[in-house]
Parts: sequence; C-alpha cells; structure tokens
Amino acid sequence: MSALPVVNPVISGREVDSRDRSTLTGVDGMPLASVGLAPRLLAQAALNRVRAGAADPAPDASVFAKAGELFATAELEGETPEEYGRRVTLATGTPLGAVHRAIEGIRAQLGRIERLNQAELPAPFAEPGFATRWLPRGDLLAAVVPNNHPEPNVTWVRALAMGVSVLVRPGSKDPFTPRRLFAALLAAGTGPDRAALLPGGHEVGEHLLAEADLGLVYGGPAAAERFGARRDVLVRGPGRSKVLVGPAAAQDEGLLGDLVEWIADDGGVRCNNISLVLTSGPVAPLADALAERLAALPVRPVTDPAATLPAMARESGALLAEHLTGMTEGAVDHSTHRYPDGLCGDPGDGSAVMRPLVVSVSEATAPIVGTELGFPFVVVAPWHPRDGTAPLRESLVVSLPDEHAELAERVLREPSVRKVVTGRVRPWTSVPEIPHDGSLAQFLLEPKGLVSAAPES
Amino acid sequence: MPELTPGTSRPQDEAAVAAHLNAMMRWHFEPATGSPFWLNRTGSLGFDPLTDITGLADLRRFPDVSDELRTVPVEELFPKGADAASFDVFESGGTVGAPKRIVDSTARTRNVDWVSEVLAEHGFPATGHWLHVGPTGPHVVGRTVRHLAQLRGGVCFTLDFDPRWVKRLIGSGRTDLAAEYREYLLDQMELVVRSQEIKTLFITPPVLEAVCARSSLHERLASTVEGILWAGTSMSAESLRQVEEFFFPRAKVAAIYGNTIMGIAPQRPPEEGDEHPCVFRPYFPQSVVEVLDPDTGEEVEYGRRGQVLMHQLSHDMFLPNVLERDTAIRVRPASGDTVDGLADIAPLRTDDAPTVVEGVY
Repeated sequence: MSALPVVNPVISGREVDSRDRSTLTGVDGMPLASVGLAPRLLAQAALNRVRAGAADPAPDASVFAKAGELFATAELEGETPEEYGRRVTLATGTPLGAVHRAIEGIRAQLGRIERLNQAELPAPFAEPGFATRWLPRGDLLAAVVPNNHPEPNVTWVRALAMGVSVLVRPGSKDPFTPRRLFAALLAAGTGPDRAALLPGGHEVGEHLLAEADLGLVYGGPAAAERFGARRDVLVRGPGRSKVLVGPAAAQDEGLLGDLVEWIADDGGVRCNNISLVLTSGPVAPLADALAERLAALPVRPVTDPAATLPAMARESGALLAEHLTGMTEGAVDHSTHRYPDGLCGDPGDGSAVMRPLVVSVSEATAPIVGTELGFPFVVVAPWHPRDGTAPLRESLVVSLPDEHAELAERVLREPSVRKVVTGRVRPWTSVPEIPHDGSLAQFLLEPKGLVSAAPES
Repeated sequence: MPELTPGTSRPQDEAAVAAHLNAMMRWHFEPATGSPFWLNRTGSLGFDPLTDITGLADLRRFPDVSDELRTVPVEELFPKGADAASFDVFESGGTVGAPKRIVDSTARTRNVDWVSEVLAEHGFPATGHWLHVGPTGPHVVGRTVRHLAQLRGGVCFTLDFDPRWVKRLIGSGRTDLAAEYREYLLDQMELVVRSQEIKTLFITPPVLEAVCARSSLHERLASTVEGILWAGTSMSAESLRQVEEFFFPRAKVAAIYGNTIMGIAPQRPPEEGDEHPCVFRPYFPQSVVEVLDPDTGEEVEYGRRGQVLMHQLSHDMFLPNVLERDTAIRVRPASGDTVDGLADIAPLRTDDAPTVVEGVY
C-alpha cells in the first residue's frame, strides 16, 4: 500500500513536518491524506515570521496570473491537476464537475486579479501634487476558509495582491486547495514570508483572528453571530439566496427548469444556490413540480464527471437525514416519498449521495425558512404583496425572474441583501466589475491623502 | 514506623511496599493514631483493614470517600497520632461543585523533595529565582512551587491567579472576559520580569501560549529562563516542540501531572524508544496510580488509554480508590524502574453526540 499523501503547514515557503497529525478521510470512507496540524504555538511562530516579512512589496499582477495557470495545469508538490480535483472531490463530497469548474474559475480570477480589485475602489484621483492612495488597514489578514467549494480561496489571494500578508486556516476537509495555491504562488514568485498555511482546529482560527490585524471568516450562522459585530473581521456567512416567483410558476416548464438549475447546480453547495423559493401562488403545486424534477437527478459517485449531486460519509449522511426529520417538522416534505431508499442514495462507492429535498411551509416566517444545507435543499413558502421585501432580507442573492421584478430597486435597498438578479438569469451571473458580496477592497484598504506639491513660496 | 520507600522502586523493594501498606493500615486504623474520619467508618467497611488488606490490589475494597471531602470538618481528617498544629488545608480545583479538601503536614513535602531531584535529572537550573504563573491560595501547587524554588536556590515570585474565576467565565461563555483575564496575568508577569531575573518558570500551557504571543514579555523571558515546568492541561507534541526549539531554545522543559488527591507525578527523563513526549511517574508507593478500563475495572494493557484510579498512602492522609475524571495511556516502567508511567493525560469524555453542521459556509 502506498503511503498517504501528506499535507503540512507551510511557513516561510517551507513545509513544517508537524508532529500533530490527523488523517483526512474521504466521503467513500477511505483515508485520503495525512494532515499536519498547526497548534496555536506554531500558528504564532508563523504569524511572527509573516509579520516580520510584511514590509516587502506586494507581488505584481503577472505573478498571480502565472500562479493561476500553474494551479490549473501544473504538477505541484507531486500532485497533478487531476489528482488535486479527485482529492478535493472525495474530501468535500462536492461533485467532480463542480470542482473542475472551480479550478477554471480560480484560474480566470487570478488572471484578472487587478481588474477585480480595482473594480471595488473609486476611480483613482490624482492631480499634480495631490493623490488619493488606497492602502491596507493592517499588515496581516487571518483567513478562515471553507470546505464546500474551492473558489472562496480566491479571496485571500486577492488580499495578497492588495499588499496584505495572509495567514490561511483551511477548512478541515479541504486543505488541498490552499496548499496547491501556495505551491503555485511560490513557484510564480510570491515572497515566501507573505503567507503561511496553517491547517488546524477551531482554536487555531480563533487565535489567528485574535492576533492578526484583520480577519476574514467563512462560516455559518454561529460564525456570523460571533464575529459579525467586529469591524476588523469580514464575515462571509450563509448565502440564504432566494427567488420570488409568480402564481403561474408551477406550470411554467422553462422557469421550472431554471429553478432546478439555480437550486442544484454544482450540487447545491454554493452560497448563491437558491435555498428559499417564495411564490405569490399556491405553494404545494410548485413544491411538487420542483421535487419531481429534482428527484430525477441521478445518484452517481461524486468522482463520476457526470455526477451532479454531492456526497457525504455514510454515517454523516444518516445523521443529517435523521436531523432533518426533526428540523422539517411542521413543514410538508415533497421529496422523500419519491426515494424508495431514503434521502441518502447509494452510488456504490461507500459514500452517501444527498438527494434533493423540497419542503413547503404555510408561512414565510416558519423556523425552517433560512436554513441552508450543503446539498439541494429548498423551502417553498408563500409571499403576499403586503409582505413587501421583508421575506427577502438576509440574502446573498435575490432573484426576481418574472412579474415581481419591479421590486428590484426596493430589494436592493435592503441592507442585508447583497445582490439582485431579474429575468431568467442565473443567480451567480456576473461580470468582474460588479460585487458578489460587498467590497473586499474597501474592507482591507482605506484611502489616504498624499500631497507632494512644493510649498508655495 | 518504617519510612516511606523513596520514589524509585525495584523488584527487591516489594517487601518494602508491603511493609509500607501494612504500616499505613496500622497508622490510619489503630484507634491511637487514626483519624476520626476513618475510625468512624471502620465498622461499615465490611472487612478489617488491619488484617484483610495485604496487597495494593486490596485497596479497591475501600469505598471512594473523596466526595465526603467536600463537607467533612477538617479536624476529623487529622490522624490522632500526628501533631494537629502541623497541618495545612488545601482544596481541589472546584470544577464540579464544592472543592474537595485535603490536609497535609509533611507528606507532600517529601513528594516535592523528590520532584526536585527529578528536575535536576532533567537539567533544570540548580539556582535562580522562580516565577509561579499558577494558582496559590487554596491550591496546593502554590506551596509546591514555592518549596521547589527554595530547594533549588531561589525565591518564588507569585501572581494573583484565580482559576475558579476563569472557569466560571469560560463556563458561562464569557470567553472575551477570560481572554482579558489572561492578559491581566501577563501584565502581572511583566511587572515581575521587568526588574527581576527569572530562571525558572512554572506555567500552564494556555498562559505560556499567550506569553509567546506577547513579544516584549516573551523576549525578556526567553533571554533569562533556563527551566519551564508546566502543568494543568495537556500540550500537543508539536506545541511542545515549538516551545523547546523555537520559543525557549535555552530552557529545559518538563511537566508535572498532579492533583490534590494524588500529589505530584513529574515527567521522567526521556528514554530511547519513548513513544510519548511526556511520561509521568507517580511518587510510589505514597501515590499508587492505576489505569483502568472504565467498563470492566481491569487495568488496561501497556500503550492503551484508560481511566485514572488513585490511592494516596501517606501518614497525613489515606485516600484509597479515587477514580479521577482523567484518562491516561499506561506506559511500561522506565529501565531500572518497576512503576508504570502515565502519558497523554486527557479529560474523561462521555461520548458526545455528533452534531450536524448546518449551513454551507
């Protein structure tokens, strides 16, 4: 039997062969990697090194473009892009196709990193002797990144491009993406002390967030509550993306097809997948129509390029299914009766594939509303014109595909809504110039005046 | 009365162990010398400690009376044969309900004398001042560290350090306040180290980590400290390496495992082939420690984890059969020794129900 691949903390561009180790197991139950963990003291040692190197100039944009190419195409640390994709897929349960799209997404974003960053700042002001400069609010960013999808890792790479040094605590299931990005960035020419990779437990993230100058946390409702009030921490919390449709939706084949895609694309693991469908028509027929179409998504091993649904380890899947029974109490389940073997499908590779679950409620204030899970899970709830924009609050994306599009401006004014999409357009449709979730640049940077005019004589 | 066998025990000392056990039974259960606490309970034991307890295994016949230490008047604990005026009272941490009280005259001092010898084997500085970054007051460790400093040629600086308050803060979710308390401890440390040269530090791992994160304090300490004695919670293998190789490369680092019931088991010097970075060795036979399978009560095999069972067999106190809330790995005795070691101490965990993580990010 060949030795397990090893992932270690990276400090000053070198792997630290940590004595604290943990075995990462795939959704198929097989060991995937031996992960070296960074306890708080190792994290502190890394922080000291990175802080000492923080005065070095930021790498220029070409370094990131090159790193993106290497990330997507090169063998790095003995890992081919194919092996990388397979590892992330098995570790996180996100389908291989979604991981491949993420690899391309990362390559594309690193290729235009300056454009992404500049788009979040006002047009530069400069006239002879006077200039506004946007500079980091702190030298060090602690980034606690998630497991569900590789692309959020682009956020900390963008911070590097803005001249901020980063300490990355990867998600417990996906140390592979940041590890590979580190290798690509180093190979492309990033200074070794600009960043450190620190796999580890919750306590390491807490320590980094306490000791670094700025923090970035991807997390669920608990993280949002814990860090939401801190001005020096940017929380990327639950997406809770929503769609509001009209009374004819249940009979509109085209719209139903779109909704299925918006709910289940990339296995439903993204923050901009729809998790709440509001309708000004009856809920039950729409929920049934969605459940019927979503139930047609096949159960395949996540490593199958045609797989569309995500997987979990069998025990975790069984636990989640049991937990859902309690959570959905009081809601109508439109899906489970369609699955003779239950919500967890068996693709035959040892994992449990999470099949889509559609529930409906009679009030948009039901407790289950706002729940977001890492597979196609959607609540269908009624909306009345008198409700206005209230049920649409707390959303990364609000989609208004049809007759309710006239609400767009009002919804956009809601402080807890980050983006509005009208028409038959995917919720994640974008161009680099428009924000996905606020402005990273305006969190990391602040404007300062530079006056260099000669004093008047 | 035979003196206690010293810490190291060899096979030929078996007779001495039996003699020690016999002496302890006579001391604690003869009406002339025993404590009111034990003499009042003799009738309800269902056996005669003077004749029926012949080997260490028989200690398990005693009930675990340690819960009664939360409420019993201390004078009932003094053996009649001892000088009551020589006793001090100490308390356990008080994590679960009221603290347990123990009394001590000289027994623990002998334990500490031996710990000092073990520290010498570790290469700890033989002179110089200590800074005790740990509890004092009702907690026996404060007296222990002060005594170690005196034995090793220095004075002991102390702080106001209240672990019960910190536990209350953490228990009620006020982690920010607990972190502030930790910073307050560091502030107190700074005031000492700014003007005093500290050679040896007693410290708990969380505070040591906080020291390493405050560079001014860390740099000053790292330039003078030659010995770090740590205790209280566990430290991972990599954390230990970071302390030894990166943060305090000039210092010898050793740990003690101890509690109010047992006394102190210091880390023994490392040996070729050790699988664990820290192996603790009890002060046998004053402290007898067994590692049990909690389900069967049988001692676990070497290399396996089990629950810690302790017996305290000193003139000052007899406390048999106390099941601790700690687990440890049972380690084969070091070469030339016959007493089992303990490694990787961890709190006893009941099987936590796995929680489902909700939400995508």
